Amino acid sequence: MPRIPNLVDNVEANQSREIFWDKDVYDLELERIFARSWLFLGHESLLPKPGDFITTYMAEDKVILSHQQDGSFRAFINSCTHRGNQICHADSGNAKAFVCNYHGWVFGQDGSLVDVPLETRCYHGQLDKEQLGAKHVRVETYKGFIFGCGDADAPGLEEYLGEFRWYLDTIWEGAGGGLELLGPPMKSILACNWKVPTENFVGDGYHVGWTHAGALLGIGGELAGLAGNRADIPFEDLGYQFTTRHGHGFGVINNAAAAIHVKRDGWAKYLADTRAEVGRKFGPEREELYVGHWNCSIFPSCSFLYGTNTFKVWHPRGPHEIEVWTYTMVPRDADAETKNSIQREASRSFGTAGTLESDDGENMSSATHVNRGTITRDGRIDSSMGVGFEGPHPIFPGIVGSSFIGETSHRGFYRFWKEMLDAPDWKTVKANDDTWDSIFTNRDYWSDKIDAAE
Amino acid sequence: MSVKQTLAGLDVQSAIEMHYRAEVRLLQNGQYREWLTEMVDEDIHYWMPIYEQRLIRDRRPDPTPDDAAIYNDDYGELKQRVERLYSGTVWMEDPPSKIRYFVSNVEAFHAGDGEFDVFSNLAIYRNRRQLEMTVHTLGREDKLRQVGDGFKVFRRKLILDARVTQDKNLYFFC
Repeated sequence: MPRIPNLVDNVEANQSREIFWDKDVYDLELERIFARSWLFLGHESLLPKPGDFITTYMAEDKVILSHQQDGSFRAFINSCTHRGNQICHADSGNAKAFVCNYHGWVFGQDGSLVDVPLETRCYHGQLDKEQLGAKHVRVETYKGFIFGCGDADAPGLEEYLGEFRWYLDTIWEGAGGGLELLGPPMKSILACNWKVPTENFVGDGYHVGWTHAGALLGIGGELAGLAGNRADIPFEDLGYQFTTRHGHGFGVINNAAAAIHVKRDGWAKYLADTRAEVGRKFGPEREELYVGHWNCSIFPSCSFLYGTNTFKVWHPRGPHEIEVWTYTMVPRDADAETKNSIQREASRSFGTAGTLESDDGENMSSATHVNRGTITRDGRIDSSMGVGFEGPHPIFPGIVGSSFIGETSHRGFYRFWKEMLDAPDWKTVKANDDTWDSIFTNRDYWSDKIDAAE
Repeated sequence: MSVKQTLAGLDVQSAIEMHYRAEVRLLQNGQYREWLTEMVDEDIHYWMPIYEQRLIRDRRPDPTPDDAAIYNDDYGELKQRVERLYSGTVWMEDPPSKIRYFVSNVEAFHAGDGEFDVFSNLAIYRNRRQLEMTVHTLGREDKLRQVGDGFKVFRRKLILDARVTQDKNLYFFC
């Protein structure tokens, strides 16, 4: 990126506006971020039986995720190896094989090429079918969530999630049952850069009171005081922000898990019934997280709101457009009525017609498209909120910000985003493993704060 | 849709079509409270299911109200959506969108007890800001009941044609 030398300034905590607009930046993202990161593909609950499949994207690549006869999952590029036609056009289903519409080449559940029409007569025994299987991507799962990666040199999924698993385990394992996803996903197009919603979910507690003022007033309850930023709320006692090695991060509002749900009896009871077990397994800090509301992004482009339980993937479609996929997360072992109620409430708030979702799209789109102006684009966007009020913590891994309203996890996200853009390979990234958090310079923030409290 | 049902007859058919025109007028004027009070009954199920792209041989059943849906609202939930638009803090509707409805192919059938099954097609154009224009086409399956000299809807199933919504959201009534 020689033309734009300072895309991210980790010290001043700002970014070039080019990051939301420039086609060269986007092309480099596809190559260095999306083709090298672990991308969310699905959840075991969406394709429970052998032969079940879903079609999805890894950035702009179309892939088929397929449940194998041995119970494992494989993913391969949804493009015929003959002349490149898309193999499967269904969203999901159960298939013994996938037949390309163009010339009828047949691919097995594992993506191998199993049959070619008129093979003997037309290929004269010269076709090496073993070399012509659909192109595979790596697939690994963590607590039922299935990810794919296009880079053979990338670390495994567990290392990629890294210390963020300490947090994820709190909810993806929980009291034992863990979470599953309910589909089919809602799908919509939003004219924005993919990072705008990702950064919004990774750490924007600031917009909640203003963007969603109308919806919060309607819902009432715990968060009504945030509406219009009117109430004097002691933010530092209400939650935290977290960021970790590979840019994954979240903000949490304590004791607010179900706050966005209007009808919440089943979900609130489930949380009340299971929190003690979570505390026993994971300790009091994570029990507190378990009953908090999380706004979270897993680097690069998968986000969720735990508590509200909406789960999003932001599939990029060029620098200025995304396809939004929205699922609902539910506890695997909750009763059917509770699952159903969580799904309805999550859709009502953050589905395509959601009472809160509908507030966000406009901001995400205009925060992208204003940058088409040359004078506008020659400038910076700021994420300095709470610089210095954050640091390493005696218990929580990664870097911890002092309040759920801050931009600690934005800074962590863009720090890693730039690291990935700059790094020629994963080996270079790994070399920074011990020094990545040095941009967060107030090393004693938490020890001083805890000492002062004692 | 069954061919066995009894057509409601020309008088009822035209009364229902006039009712739909009035409904469109209220929605286009932003008179959402009047629409809800006068045209929607309190036992409403307002439903926009999600239809996947599936192969014809796929035998899984159509979505039910227990499945994922874009709208799956009762009266209180619909009312909450309406009231949000009067909060004065819905920034994306200020300046307001312009929305125009085209209702066609209205077919009304007797369903007994002063109730009617009504099928119609909707084309909805939404213009926003300077250049944003989105179009949505839907099939609509209503159950209406005669209330006084008018009708109220108590089941509304909205069948969105597009798998991927080409709009920021679907927060409008139809």
